[in-house]
Amino acid sequence: MNPGLGRFLILASLLVATAGALVAFAAGRTGSQEGLKWARRLAYAFAALMAGATLLMEYALLTHDFSVSYVAQVGSRSVPAWVTISSLWSSLEGSILFWGFVLAAYIAIATWMTRDRYREYMPDAIGVWLSSAAFFSFLLAGPANPFHTVPIPPLDGPGPNPLLQNHILMVVHPPFLYLGFVGMTIPFGLAAAALIKGRLGHGFLKPIREALLLPWVFLTISIMLGGWWAYEVLGWGGYWAWDPVENASLLPWLTATAALHSMMVVERRGILKGWTTTLILATYLLVILGTFMTRSGVFNSVHSFTQSSIGPTILAFLAAALIFSVVLLATRIDRLEAEGTIEGAVSREGMFLVNNLMFVLLTFTVLIGTVFPLIVEAVNGKQMSVGRPYFDSMVVPAGAALLFLLGVGPALPWGRATREQLRRALLPPLAGAAVFLLAGLAFGVRTPWTLLALAFGGYAAQVTLHQMWLPLVQRLRGGDSFANALVDGQLRRGRRRFASYIVHAGAVVTLIAIGVSSTMKSEGEYQLSKGQSASLAGYTITFLGVEDRAEPHRHSTIASFAVLKNGTQKTILHPRMNQYETMREPIGTPDVYTTAAGDVYLSILNVDRMQQSVGVSMVQTPLVVWIWIAVILMGIGGLVGVIPGRRSAAAAATAGVTLSREDGEGSPADGAIPRPAREGA
Amino acid sequence: MNRTVLIVGLFLATAVVGVLFLGLGKDPQRIDSPLIGRTAPSFALREAGTGDTIALEQFRGKPVVLNFWATWCAPCYEEHPILVANARRLGSQAQFVGVVFQDTEEKILKFLRDRGSAYPTVVDDAGKTAIAYGVGGVPETFFLDADGTIVAKHDGPVSTELLQANLVKAMQR
Repeated sequence: MNPGLGRFLILASLLVATAGALVAFAAGRTGSQEGLKWARRLAYAFAALMAGATLLMEYALLTHDFSVSYVAQVGSRSVPAWVTISSLWSSLEGSILFWGFVLAAYIAIATWMTRDRYREYMPDAIGVWLSSAAFFSFLLAGPANPFHTVPIPPLDGPGPNPLLQNHILMVVHPPFLYLGFVGMTIPFGLAAAALIKGRLGHGFLKPIREALLLPWVFLTISIMLGGWWAYEVLGWGGYWAWDPVENASLLPWLTATAALHSMMVVERRGILKGWTTTLILATYLLVILGTFMTRSGVFNSVHSFTQSSIGPTILAFLAAALIFSVVLLATRIDRLEAEGTIEGAVSREGMFLVNNLMFVLLTFTVLIGTVFPLIVEAVNGKQMSVGRPYFDSMVVPAGAALLFLLGVGPALPWGRATREQLRRALLPPLAGAAVFLLAGLAFGVRTPWTLLALAFGGYAAQVTLHQMWLPLVQRLRGGDSFANALVDGQLRRGRRRFASYIVHAGAVVTLIAIGVSSTMKSEGEYQLSKGQSASLAGYTITFLGVEDRAEPHRHSTIASFAVLKNGTQKTILHPRMNQYETMREPIGTPDVYTTAAGDVYLSILNVDRMQQSVGVSMVQTPLVVWIWIAVILMGIGGLVGVIPGRRSAAAAATAGVTLSREDGEGSPADGAIPRPAREGA
Repeated sequence: MNRTVLIVGLFLATAVVGVLFLGLGKDPQRIDSPLIGRTAPSFALREAGTGDTIALEQFRGKPVVLNFWATWCAPCYEEHPILVANARRLGSQAQFVGVVFQDTEEKILKFLRDRGSAYPTVVDDAGKTAIAYGVGGVPETFFLDADGTIVAKHDGPVSTELLQANLVKAMQR
């Protein structure tokens, strides 16, 4: 009964989403309130049906109902429950269903949050969301149907790909990625609605910003989780390989980050409206491109693309979305009138422009590097790959430039500044630059790019910390109590500002840690017999022996190494080699000793049981743990910026509450003052 | 209507979709071996069971199907009956040779006893032949023409259709 009910729910969701999109667009055209009401109802109905289908699939997985084709494909009675639950997103059809579920949740929440506001824009926004929903329902109803009936159900199934059971990060990485990817549908719909209406009012920026920021947080975390997984599992000691799948997740992140910045300029100066909407539309298009590149979800094909039948369908959708976006921009971009101008190049808004330029440059660099092999093969039939040298030579300077902007941008005041103001803003952080530079030299950094990154990073760190706590300092100077200054100045009024500098602090640490870890790492390969040692970068490893362990689905060879520093034993590492029944090649699992200063990373290259000797690759990487920590900090910063006080701030503003002066009137502590909402409707 | 946006946008859209469309249906895991079109690296290896030395050169004059495999590899079980059936069917028209990849002779002989064999299997003890052919994992199958030139390579288990298609290529040369 399950597969039939599942197919019914999917077909019903397709019908409801299509009807909802039509009703919503019609309501947008006529301005009918009744139409908008019906569009909202259909949006909720879509969400309920899609959630029902997903829950039904989870139920089928947990009860091992092998009459459902997807369960027969990935289910197994012998795997633990957490594997069964997460196998929803372990393979193609299920991952599309999961996509539909996440989209349903986003649409329901976004429809609810905007229920009594933005009436002018909402019909078209809902129309765009439900069009996207209709496409994914269509995929589930046809090319990627997980609810086929298996006529003679097997007694047991193979279980999901063993790699997915190998590490806990593989369970959390995909949901974060989907929350990031799918969530970009919401700002896409809002920006498209603004274009359809041909105006982007000041009051409508807030929902767009929040709708963009939340998935941005998830995407940021998920990119880090993917790198961390690669580091912990793949055994080559790195966290980023410029693999097409990794690039697929980075591309929308770059444009979304650019949009979050350009939106500040729209808010402040009323310019860059068309540009900002372009970035938001591009973000969604790159999400679809990424989905196409990985077939559906990142997982069922970490390295292959478009071998499944849904490739052409997604490409058709991408083409349609591209044409929709281009035509929309071409016909409406001139109507989004600019309300101001840029007053000086050396100003906050000038730096935002440079920032946007860098992000767009990076997007094109990565995009071209990713699709270039396809172009070459199409032109002359030769196979080639674009490797690290290309990406490094392009991305390292851009990364350094971004680190520079992270310092100089926030230090500069908005608008035209006097020479004296510039001097006061730009000179003091040179102290931070000097400190970081000298620290780097003291620790033996000699690579020019790394030294440059440290200097820019030190500058940016000082600016960031100064700007982060400015409202608090100003309030304390004004005689406010510390508690009040902290709660009201940092967390309530200045929340958005505080949040953005938390993100900046995370970004500074991330960029420095990437620079140092990628240029300062030491690597060695050793062939060790039992009792033999090898030394690298101050650490000594001693090979203690190997043991074999047989498990039902795999056979493991586990080596033991003592890790010593200055003669004291720090830990024992157990890198292993796993041979899965279903895999052609053995999979190594490295083991890592992590400290704040750096990691020692061991992975086995080969094992000679007769001689009791192993080949081991040892990598010592400084600061690598700070990448994970700092990206989580960026995520926390983003959440601080999006979660609390949503209604209260707007309510206070519309109620005409006079803002207290100690928020820094006439000072650079700008984010502390919520602007009164000038509602479009 | 902003013509610049329209033209630039449509150009970018067409370029991206066009390139991706051309990429459809390609298998990105397939990497053409640089050995294709070159003379196959020669070898003289011990035949499993008999201990006779078998040299690649002795098969000149007819196409050769060189299959690298091991008993610990699941897809090798899947393709073994297909290889045996085709070797029997083709008889003297083509020569099949199995090359053992990182495995013991004892296990190989048991496998062949249990599952049948129709062509010689040689033991690549030090793995030098596998290295010369750039074998990355098993099964991998090379197709040689009558002059000993590699005309095709396949990663993963073979099917009858694939064997036939590649042997046709090997016979046309």
